[in-house]
Amino acid sequence: MALSNRERARLSLGIQAGIFAAIVVVLILLVDWGAVQNSFFDLESVSGMFPGVITVGLWNTIQYTFFGFLFGLFGGTLLALMRLASFPVYRWIAAIYIEFFRGIPAILVFIALGFGASLAFNLNLSTLQTASTALAIVGAAYIAETIRAGLQAVPKGQMEAARALGMPAWRAMVSIQIPQAFRIVLPPLTNEAILLTKDSSLIFVVGMAGSAAELTKIGRDGILQYGAGMTPLVVAGVCYLLITVPLSLLARRMEERGPGRSSRRRPRKKATESPVTAGVK
Amino acid sequence: MSDTVPAGVTIEDLHKSYGDNEVLQGISITVNPGEVVCLIGATGSGKSTLLRCVNRLEDPNSGRILVGEFDATDPDVNLDAMRRKIGMVFQQFNLFPHLSVLENCTITPRRVLKQPRAEAEAEAMHQLELVGLQHLAHRRPAQLSGGQQQRVAIARALTMKPSLMLFDEPTSALDPETVGDVLAIMRDLAQAGMTMIVVTHEMGFAREVADRVVFMNQGRVVEEGPAQQVIGAPAQPRTQDFLRRVLNPLGE
Repeated sequence: MALSNRERARLSLGIQAGIFAAIVVVLILLVDWGAVQNSFFDLESVSGMFPGVITVGLWNTIQYTFFGFLFGLFGGTLLALMRLASFPVYRWIAAIYIEFFRGIPAILVFIALGFGASLAFNLNLSTLQTASTALAIVGAAYIAETIRAGLQAVPKGQMEAARALGMPAWRAMVSIQIPQAFRIVLPPLTNEAILLTKDSSLIFVVGMAGSAAELTKIGRDGILQYGAGMTPLVVAGVCYLLITVPLSLLARRMEERGPGRSSRRRPRKKATESPVTAGVK
Repeated sequence: MSDTVPAGVTIEDLHKSYGDNEVLQGISITVNPGEVVCLIGATGSGKSTLLRCVNRLEDPNSGRILVGEFDATDPDVNLDAMRRKIGMVFQQFNLFPHLSVLENCTITPRRVLKQPRAEAEAEAMHQLELVGLQHLAHRRPAQLSGGQQQRVAIARALTMKPSLMLFDEPTSALDPETVGDVLAIMRDLAQAGMTMIVVTHEMGFAREVADRVVFMNQGRVVEEGPAQQVIGAPAQPRTQDFLRRVLNPLGE
């Protein structure tokens, strides 16, 4: 007997759930839980990590990321405006910068800044300076493309209306176009912040003092210190989630609320008004 | 309107092309201070382009445009200063969606003319009252109907105390039942003595309000004169043909 569409859909869902459950059961049976417990979840042995992993590690990670993102946002906005400039040299400079720093691994930027800058410019950068500058350099390249797309997504009529009112180009940009573009790019910008949070771990290649240690450094040091296997890295990983999960929840909420472009939506028509009385004053 | 002087507009032999496509092929029109001129014609006849050349949203290739004291086609003209004297109303309203209705009306006076907030808001509320929307001052544009948005757009333009108003198909994107409100405000504005150039398909409005009607076809002025004459008794076959199709879309 032929199945109805609804029965077929239910059957298909049932099969999928069955396969998924089987995989979970097999994994549970295969895994040596004792060993996993000892090398990944030996929380008692690593109790010494607290509160340092929060007060130093988490705090430093947040600081490096925050300043890296902030400067990256400034740099990225500038690069986006250069990409859209009418003067071709600006466009070229921005395009080369973006292609270059999007194309190389972020770790190379950390190395270049951590070791190269001190040699080349005789600079002695602090860990905060090195980490946030490297993140800003890399982040700016990605953020620039996001913001360029956002600026281009603002309807052309907005700029025209602003200029027609007599606003100079820079004022129309600052008061009209950029605020609307930011609403559009807030969700993707939050994703950039999440990526930068994780990239802040790359500062380990440069090395740092204990007071400047961020989460990954603390996790790696903990492996040697506590003899609890990889558990310190698991602790560090959970701390990253404490930053990134709220950020994604925030991004999702902003996405649901929409970017404030709803003026394109047609207003609901009043069904009650009769066509005879309509428009008669 | 009390403290503004309506400006006249003189357009001489205006040409504009996009690549090989010559959209304006030598347009000459004079609009006297306080006069209302309606531009009519089929889509693609160049009327919107002509309007956008007056405040230089489009750059003409050659010809001359004088707006009051400004020579709009002078390369050294202060475009921003000139545009502050020319209000423009768009087909798609183009209100700023991230600002409230009141802020839409105060942002340019405050940020560009450096008016104190209280002064700018008082003037904006006055203009919103004239278009009957002072009670919506704190709403966002998205919360308004199309007709209400267009009335706010008119109020926003008037807060700059322009001496010329340009209307680019102001009612074409509106629901039919809200067209009347917008046209009524435009009529009041015309009666108050504003110089107005209106691109429109509303023949009733043109006939009632316009001092003169200009019919354009393929980048040229085909016929111009008093509204009664151009719309009521057109002399040119192309004007007759256009009006027959606009006024009686289904044919005989």
